[in-house]
Order: sequence, then structure tokens, then C-alpha cells
Amino acid sequence: MKIGRKLTLLFFLGPALFIVVLFYIVPLFLSIYISFTPMTDWNINRYLTQFIGLQNYERLIHIMMYDPDMRAVIITTAVFIAVTLAINVFGGLLLALATYFMDEKLSLAYQGLWLLPRMTPVAVYSLLWYYFFHSSGIGLLNAILMRLHLISHPIALGLDPKYLPWGAWFIIIFVNGLVGVSYGMIIFYSAFKSIPKELIIAARVDGASTSRIIRHILLPLTKWHFTFITVWQMLSLLTSFAQIFLLVEWRVVDSTWGQTWALYVFRTAFTTVKDQGLAAAASTFLSIIGIALGLVALKALGYKKMILEPKGDI
Amino acid sequence: MMPEVADVETINRRRMNIMLGIVVLLASAPILVTYFVLIASSFTNQMITGGIIGQLTFTLENWILFFEGKLAVTAASVLSTWDILRYIFNTFIIAFGVMIVVTALATLAGYACSRMKFKGRTFLIQLLILLHAFPGVSLIIAVYALYIFSKQPLPASAWTFYAFLYVIVARAALEVPMDVWIMKGFFDKVPWEVEWSAIIDGASRIKVWKDIILPLVKPGIAAIAIFSFIAGWGELIYVMVFLPATEKTLATYIAGLLAGGSLEVVHLPVVAAAGTLYLIPTLVFFTFVRRYMLQTSLSGIKG
Amino acid sequence: MVSVRLDKVTKRFGKVVAINNVSLEIEDGKLYVLLGPSGGGKTTTLYLIAGIYKPTSGKVYFDEKDVTNLTPAERNVGLVFQNYALYPHMKVYDNIAFPLRLRKEPKSKIDSKVHEVAKFLRIENLLDRYPYQLSGGQQQRVALARALVKEPSVLLLDEPLSNLDALLRVYIRAELKRMQQDLGITSVYVTHDQSEALAIADKIVVINKGVIQQEGTPEQIYESPRNVFVATFIGNPPMNIVKGSVLEDGTIETTGSRLTPPPAMLEKIRKLGLKTILMAFRPESAVVSEHPMEGRFSPQGELFEVEPLGRDAVVTVTVGEFVIKVVMPTKEARELRIGSKVYINIDPNAIKYFDPNTELNLEYIEA
Repeated sequence: MKIGRKLTLLFFLGPALFIVVLFYIVPLFLSIYISFTPMTDWNINRYLTQFIGLQNYERLIHIMMYDPDMRAVIITTAVFIAVTLAINVFGGLLLALATYFMDEKLSLAYQGLWLLPRMTPVAVYSLLWYYFFHSSGIGLLNAILMRLHLISHPIALGLDPKYLPWGAWFIIIFVNGLVGVSYGMIIFYSAFKSIPKELIIAARVDGASTSRIIRHILLPLTKWHFTFITVWQMLSLLTSFAQIFLLVEWRVVDSTWGQTWALYVFRTAFTTVKDQGLAAAASTFLSIIGIALGLVALKALGYKKMILEPKGDI
Repeated sequence: MMPEVADVETINRRRMNIMLGIVVLLASAPILVTYFVLIASSFTNQMITGGIIGQLTFTLENWILFFEGKLAVTAASVLSTWDILRYIFNTFIIAFGVMIVVTALATLAGYACSRMKFKGRTFLIQLLILLHAFPGVSLIIAVYALYIFSKQPLPASAWTFYAFLYVIVARAALEVPMDVWIMKGFFDKVPWEVEWSAIIDGASRIKVWKDIILPLVKPGIAAIAIFSFIAGWGELIYVMVFLPATEKTLATYIAGLLAGGSLEVVHLPVVAAAGTLYLIPTLVFFTFVRRYMLQTSLSGIKG
Repeated sequence: MVSVRLDKVTKRFGKVVAINNVSLEIEDGKLYVLLGPSGGGKTTTLYLIAGIYKPTSGKVYFDEKDVTNLTPAERNVGLVFQNYALYPHMKVYDNIAFPLRLRKEPKSKIDSKVHEVAKFLRIENLLDRYPYQLSGGQQQRVALARALVKEPSVLLLDEPLSNLDALLRVYIRAELKRMQQDLGITSVYVTHDQSEALAIADKIVVINKGVIQQEGTPEQIYESPRNVFVATFIGNPPMNIVKGSVLEDGTIETTGSRLTPPPAMLEKIRKLGLKTILMAFRPESAVVSEHPMEGRFSPQGELFEVEPLGRDAVVTVTVGEFVIKVVMPTKEARELRIGSKVYINIDPNAIKYFDPNTELNLEYIEA
């Protein structure tokens, strides 16, 4: 390649590559390295050069096996991901189907509405649910339930041991589900829309009912999208923790039963014990799962075939 | 394009519309209700849920208190209006910063990925997809460690500036992979001949990109600019971790108001006002975003 | 103005060979037409001359200069794409001025050149408009202007007329030819339309499957097609092909009739030891009638259909397994009855003979 061409390529790719290396590649390896150090309290200068091998991992496994709080984290993470994933994927599918059969204007309005949670700042979105699930009579849920005479005094759904762990689980799943559904809705909807209208019309002319059309035309043609959304959402659920963080901080949910693995990593490193070595070890698990799932996604979705070569030799 | 063939489909169209409309409306109730409660509570003397309808009065007091930095009528104010304005301004800075960085990097790299042949191109594109799916939280520890390490040689007076810079770039980094992919999709749609004409006439790649191609992908640029602004606007975790306690954004301010979950010190409708204000740009951009959502999500997936 | 030479050029895309060992010389100042079906390699050849594609092997020369590794801009070519590829966000003036501005020519010079070429192409009144405000024909002229304004050494046109409606095509075709003659610029023109090629070319290069089938003047191509492909590609309706078997005495039997080929052909057929032969003749070289005519080769068949096209008519006759098309005056054609037995009276001097194995015209085979 001529010099001019190399410089041009640098101009275009340089900045993005720089940022990717600095904020993905380097941190990935650094994080693994930190997990082999006894770093606490962010004392880099002191701890960065101390190598303690797999100690943090041993501690982590020990905690996982014997600490009931940690076991709660593991179970919570599993339940959270499984249930929310199901909601996100099937909820998204249902919404996409519903809006597909509606008038254009109405469907756009509803889709817009369901996108709102995704676009709202985390702090505001969590605030909404703070009000909703508040443990006093001010909480909207409590107000409604009392009004309907289903309960006699307000309940703390996320905190009261009577309702744990399901109360806390319900809240974090519900809150994240409402955000997650919109992703599947958009993807499925655009998948449906890309099916030539003529297919649907031909089916209608043949007298097919709506459920037939769904079962035999719409769903079979969106298998790829189904896989895509499932993998993507799983990754996203594995790693997102901002909403849950606030709900725990604001005492809407119990900190034991409302904590997922991702939140555990964050709190261990930044707020509770400030043990970065341990947190890094825990985050390595996430990284491994993340990379594995990502590779599965790439392979299963056949992305390589979709990348077209540029035309021309200039 | 076929015109909307209503006739064959009008069989149960009307009834279906109404039925579906009602079902989805009911399902959307949580969203509608909670947002309504938030916005309305900022204008009433009590939380809407807390009072009997008759006792609620319309008031702007919450907003006044908010802008004065007071959390309740009786609370001693630690903050001033100036602080609040500064927080709002900080939020803007982060949002704009992320928008600029992401848009610049994505339009540059997206073009190269779309139009230029280079070694490792397929690998890079697949890497971008992989990164987009990558857990951000597992990296934040190392990112913060890098931050602390890199700021040591800097004079203390530069630390705040550096913190802002780091938040912006770190947050932007989370958006870049996906937005490069999205911009690539837009660049892919520009006809080859238009570009070739310019190159045959003697334009360098950079000139072609700047003068010929960019004007033709304006919708894409607008879309990712808006998305990245919204991402920066709503960012909480990075702001919380990197910025000093004196420099808050609306996110960390609101988070701090309710920390610990105590009711006494804070008058909830004031917090509602803060939340509503924070929500405004989202609602504003919202109207633009809807149109682009479908376009970008389509180009962002199946090729 | 230069001459262009392709020297044993091959172009591969992955495993696909688009252009296979092609050597071609394009004379200075002439209009060459690359003619062939879609996917046959003509556009690839054009892009190789332009420099958009680099040959997998082989060289490209402009006059004596090896330009194989030069960029399109360095070659100073002007290229008009099929869809014109105007810059949509720029006015016509800026579209045309673009190459000159890139060369950093002084503003006044740019202005005079733009106006000059706009005047030449009669689009001066459109300079202030945007491409979307122009008709197809106007857009094409702007594309031409943009290509010509930089005084290129070679003008390349990729199917310039195919996006225009039929009537406009015929008009602009003549204008393009005249323009090229006035400017004397070496031009390479790609099309799949054989009538277009015959109408405007100084030389036609027929390309199919990445290989040059024949190179020659329109007359040569039309009168003396080198192989079956060229024979059936040129002409509308194309040449009729009929298969025959060669008998002991050298005569040919086909469709129930016998024909004695001219002595030169007889010799070649005998020398090549052919047992079967392909014969071709143009639709206008035959007349259909109810009785056989003197001095002609007249196989008998059934009248399938008559399609009047104004002055002439296309008459379709089935002869055994062959479907023959004949062009004759409508007046005479109208007297024929569908389904009746008729004779196709072919002028024996107009028959071309092809080797069935190589599909080559025997005239081109040394024997």
C-alpha cells in the first residue's frame, strides 16, 4: 500500500481504533491482571505490582460456596436473566405482532410509548419506580392496592422479608422488562415489515385467518431475528445494572435479593468493600461468558456472510 | 410501491384495530401511569398518590424550590441556584461531548469499513459487533484504574477537566462500535458510481468523504447524534465514578437525593420536579427519534 | 487524445474470471463500441480502461505509456455512468466545475470552461438547477459535461442511453456520434443494444463470457459474423440458424431439401471432414411465397404467423424443427394464409456456413 493510502486509512480508522484499544482491549487484559493482585481502596501504586496468583479466585469460589448472601446473588442473577429474557423476547414479539396488525399511525404511537423507558435517563426511570413501589402509602402500588381493599396497610414489596425473594425479584424483573421489551419489539416489527406485503395479501385472498398468517408466514420468516434478540438480550441482561443499582441504593429492593452478579461486581469494587482484586475476579467470569456468547452470536447469525466486500480497486 | 390495499384486509380491520388498541393500551398502563404521576407530582403540593384528590392543589413551589437548591420548604439549603444550574450545565457538557465524539468517530470509521479495502477488514467489523455485545461493567474497574493512573502526572488544577474528558470518552467508547456499524449501513447505501465519479475526477478519499458522501448520509448522522446525545444525557454510573463529588449532573444529583431512602429530609414533589426537568430533552428528541429508530435498527442488523 | 491498448488482460473476482486474456487496441480519435449481453464482460473492460479495476494480469497502455498502475485521475479519463451519478446535493454548475476545482484551476478559468462545455451541450440554462430538477436526458448531458470539461484523453460511456425512453434514445444517439466526431476524442462506448452499436460505432468489439468474439466495422460484423454467437446477437430479428447433414457428394440435406454450397465452401467442408453443418441467413435475405422461386434455395414449411411492422412484416415459418423468421414487404406478406404450406426462398449467396464443433464461420477458417 502506498504511503498516501496508509495515511488515509489512519485518518479514518485511527480515532475509532484508538478508543477501542484504550477502552476495550487494554481494560480487558488489565482487568484480568488486577484479578491477580490484592488491590483494594484503589491503591494502584501499592498493589499493582503485587502478584498473588489465583488467590482472589479462590476467595471468590469460597464465598460462592459458603456465603449465603453470595448464593443469593447467584440465584437472583439466574432467575433475573431467565425470566426477564423470556419477557423481553416474547413480550417484544407480542407487541410487534400487535402493532403490525394495527393502523400505521396507531402502531407508531404505541411503539413510541414503549420506547420511552429505554430512552429515559436511568435516574428518572428509577425514580418512576421508586414512587411506584414506595413502601409507604405514597407508593402508587400501595395506593392502588389499598384503594381496591386488597391490603389494609402499605407493604414494602422489595424489602419485607415476608415477600422475599419474590418481591424483590418481581420488582427488578418488572422494571427491566419494561425497558427490554422495546428492543425485541423494534427488531421483530421491522422483520415483519420487510416481508413483502403481497405474501400477506395472497394469504388473505386464500382466506387465511390472522392466527394462520402469524403461524405460517410471520413467525417462520423471523427465526433469525428470534435468535439474534435472544442472544443480544441475554448479554445485555448479564451486564446491565444501573437501574438495579439505584433501586438498591434507594432501598426499594433488598440488597441481598435484588443484587445480580453485575451489580455485585460494581459494588464490591466501588461501594461496599472496595476490593478491586476480588471484584475483578468476579468480572472475569462475566467477560468470559460475554465473549463466549458473542462468538456464538457471530457464528449462529452468520455475520461473516453478510459483510460484503467493497467494489473497485481504487 | 404498492398502495395500501385496504379492501382485502378490511374484513376485520376495524374490529381488530379497536381490540388490539385496547389490549396494548392496557399493557401500556404502567408506563402511562408512572410517567403521568411523575410529571403531575411536580406541579402539585403532594405526591399524587399520597393524597385524596380533593386535597391536591396546583403549585409551582416544587419547581422554585428545586431551582433554589432546596429539597423541602423547611430544609436548610446546602446548595444554591448556581449549583443547580451548574449541574444542568454539566449534564449538557457530558451529553454534547459524547455526541461529538461518537458522531465523529462513527462517521470516519464507518466510511472506511464500508468503502475501503484493507487487511483485517472483515475481522474488524466482526470485532465491532462483538464489542457492542460486550459487558461494559466488567471493564469499568480497569477503566477506572487506568484513569487514576493516568491522572497522577497531571497538575491538580487539571483534574476536573480531565475527569470530564474521561467520562465523555469512556461513555462514547460504549456507543462507538454499534454506531460505526450503523453508519456503515448508511454508507453502504450510497451508489458506488457517485463516489467513483469523484475519484475519477481526482478527489482524494478524504475529500470524497467530506464533500460528496457526508451530505448524502445526513439522516444517519442525525440519528446517531441524537442517540449518543441521549446516551450521554442519561449517563449515571460513569459520572458517579469519575466526577468529583462537587461536580454533579442531574443524574447523580437525583441519585444522591434519595440515597438511603429516607423521606424526612426530602419533599418528594421537589424530586419529581428534578426528574421532570431531566426528562425534557428526552421527550424533545423523542419526536425526532421515532422516525429513525426503524431505519437504524434495520440497518444495524441484517446487513 | 490517445490510443488505448489492452495487452493480454485478465480480470478475476475471487474465482470468477470476468475478462479472459483479452488484447485490444483502440485507435486514437475513434468511437469503439463494446457490445455484448449482460454479464459478458464489457463493463468490466470499460472499468479496466478507466482504472477502477486493476488487471489481475496483463497491462493497459495509453499510447506508449503503461498506465496499469495509475489511478483514474492520473489517467485523465472521463467516465459517464449509466445512472449519471451526479452529485445530488450540488447544483449543475458545481457538478461540472468539480473536477476543475480539484485541479485547483483559477476561478475565472473554471467559469469560462464550464460555460463553454455547457454551451456545447446546450445546457447553459440549467446551470443553476439541482440534478433532481432535471429530466433524464438533461442529467445525461450534465454527466457528459462533467466528463468533458477536464479535456480527458479518453471518453468512456457506460450504457449512456439505457435509462432514456425509446424515442429519446434515437435522437441522442445521433447527437453523441456527432459530438464525438466534432471533438475527435477517443471514445469507448458500452452497450447491449446491437442496433445502437451498428448505428454509431467506428469499430465494434463483441464481447461475451469475458472473451472477444469479434472485432470489426459495423459492416464487417453484420455481413461477416465470425461465429454463431455474433451471428445471432446482431440483427433484429437475428440470423436464422438451420442444421444440415453433409452427404457423400458434398451437398447438404436439410429440412427435406437439398442444397449445393459454393465451390469454396464445398472444399472447406470436405477438407474439414464435416458431417453436419450449420447454415445461417438473415431474415431479409429470404422471401416467403406459395411457390418456390428460381435460383433460390427453397425449403418448404408451414406459415405460423405474420407480424406487420409498418412497411415490412416479420413472417414466421416452421420448417421441421426449425422456426424461421423472414422480413419482407407487408403488402406481399398479407397475401399469405396462416397454416398454409409455403416456401422460404433463400438467396444462396447470402448463406453463411458454420462449423458445428467450433461454431466458427467457415470464412474465417483456414483450410
